[in-house]
Amino acid sequence: MITLFIISLLGVIAMLAEILKFKKLLAPLTLLGLIAAMGAGVSEWNNPVFIPVFNNMLLFNHYALAFSISLCLVTFLWFLMAQDYLKTETAITDHYALILFSLAGGIVLTAFGNMVMLFLGIEILSIPLYILAGSRKTDLASNEASFKYFLLGAFAIGFLLFGIALIYGATGSFELNTINQYILQHPGEMPAFFYAGILLIIAGLAFKVSAAPFHFWTPDVYQGAPTMITAFMSTIVKIAAFAGFFRLFSTCFVSVADSWNQLIGILAIISMLLGNITAIRQDSFKRMLAYSSISHAGYLLLAILAINNHSAGAIFLYTLAYAVASITAFAVLKKVYALKNNDLIESFNGLAKRNPLLALSITIAMLSLAGIPPTGGFFAKYVIFNTALTGGHLWLVIIAVIASLIGVYYYFKAIIASWFKPATDENLIELSLQDKLLLIITTLLTLAIGLFPEFILNLLS
Amino acid sequence: MTLYLFYFLSFLAIISALMVVVSKNPVNSVLFLIITFFAIAGHYVLLNAQFLAAVHIIVYAGAIMVLFLYVIMMMNFSKESEPSKTKLSQIVATVAGGIFLITLIGALHFYDVDMSPGHSDPGAGLVGALGKVLFSKFLLPFEISSLLFLAAMTGVVLLGKKNNDNS
Repeated sequence: MITLFIISLLGVIAMLAEILKFKKLLAPLTLLGLIAAMGAGVSEWNNPVFIPVFNNMLLFNHYALAFSISLCLVTFLWFLMAQDYLKTETAITDHYALILFSLAGGIVLTAFGNMVMLFLGIEILSIPLYILAGSRKTDLASNEASFKYFLLGAFAIGFLLFGIALIYGATGSFELNTINQYILQHPGEMPAFFYAGILLIIAGLAFKVSAAPFHFWTPDVYQGAPTMITAFMSTIVKIAAFAGFFRLFSTCFVSVADSWNQLIGILAIISMLLGNITAIRQDSFKRMLAYSSISHAGYLLLAILAINNHSAGAIFLYTLAYAVASITAFAVLKKVYALKNNDLIESFNGLAKRNPLLALSITIAMLSLAGIPPTGGFFAKYVIFNTALTGGHLWLVIIAVIASLIGVYYYFKAIIASWFKPATDENLIELSLQDKLLLIITTLLTLAIGLFPEFILNLLS
Repeated sequence: MTLYLFYFLSFLAIISALMVVVSKNPVNSVLFLIITFFAIAGHYVLLNAQFLAAVHIIVYAGAIMVLFLYVIMMMNFSKESEPSKTKLSQIVATVAGGIFLITLIGALHFYDVDMSPGHSDPGAGLVGALGKVLFSKFLLPFEISSLLFLAAMTGVVLLGKKNNDNS
């Protein structure tokens, strides 16, 4: 709860920074605030008195705290990475405020205990991003990204709301616990439109996590938006949306799992295959990451499908490993983009000769995303597949393994380009201290998650 | 009497909603949309939710429709500028919409409304009851939505600001 207060307050402070003239202090203040928010989360973790606050609107249990802390951590890394970008923007304070508000929405999504809070969380998470995606006002691609994201996002939220209304009609409550109890008290008597409601909620949430076939916005929005905003969308939004998705389905609809798990299985299969196969053909690194994020949504859906004691830990580990590796990839892309002014995979050619640190970190990030040991991505995938196997979904796991083998191909394109292809110019690339620090931290984190996965898994099981 | 009114309003709402989609001229669409909103507001009154009906008319039929009309008149849509949709996407959209309609009709058809647990006291939609719920049970969502508005306002400022450089 204190985490949410700190982040919201930080957002308001950031908004006032321009008027009260402390723009220069904003960057250190935000980083300190994020550390304080993480600290508050840890101290709440150590004093486990989990009381639902405000009439069951929010419940910060271990699940919510773990995801909130991981959201704050990834945002912290994001701010380290995006410093140069934020400095070049005219409206620095507005950028800070919007990012922090979006984060606050993400934290609400990890802890909601009521459908109303689910809806508000998703909206607070998304609306700042609709705007930030279009923050390059003179760039047509950026405008298109913003417009597409906004229109389709509003449409998807409409489905979600319709679903919530139908669920309310069937159970007479917005509260997750009450809905669950009502379902348990009336086994086999739920009206048909209750299941239609679940269907619509799945459609709305699948849009948010960009699972196929609700993924059409992802490549265009990811490519059109400024690179740093894309990084935010593919990490923090993904974590928050999956945390909310799993929280809703594990507390509310777990007793009617038979009615929806086939559907989730189909979404997972389409996302994994379509994401990986389409990613092969992409020349643009950013677009490739967009398709790869669709395929990762597919793997994560496996854990929701197999809903059991290990699912929460598996999703937590996977989203964290994925987000840290993505931040590394985007940090390298930012540097390459600044030199070549394009995001083609060819631009990575000869990176190893020009700056070994950049090449090494992109290699480890790609290995982690592809799921190759000893990186974090390998164990995350292993745990997800294992969870799905315990749930008895053997065929899905086989398809997932095939899909991730396809994935190895395109992740290696970037590695091969940076180590084995000749560079077009041989000048060394200078890195600022901040960039070096960020790359070292995220690379070490990726390896650390790979070496000590039990530590993270045991947090939530 | 109420039943006839209900059927009349439903008929009006459905027909005008269809006309919103079907009519070629955007201005006609908007006018039909206003009729739809009024018909739905009528339903709210029938359900004894006067406050909701009033807000619905003020916000949707008033503010949002004026914005709509304003934008349509500013943009001056002509028939040539509209992108034509391919046959395939039209067929896919029709099939998808039709399946969705059948699902909903099937889901609602056999349901006895009196069984609904959502049935509560008839005064629930009145402004007093609404205010009490909003400031007691739903206090946190009420307060948290201020974050949403702050974010939206900051966004408007961000988009409205002039760029010094074209970064």
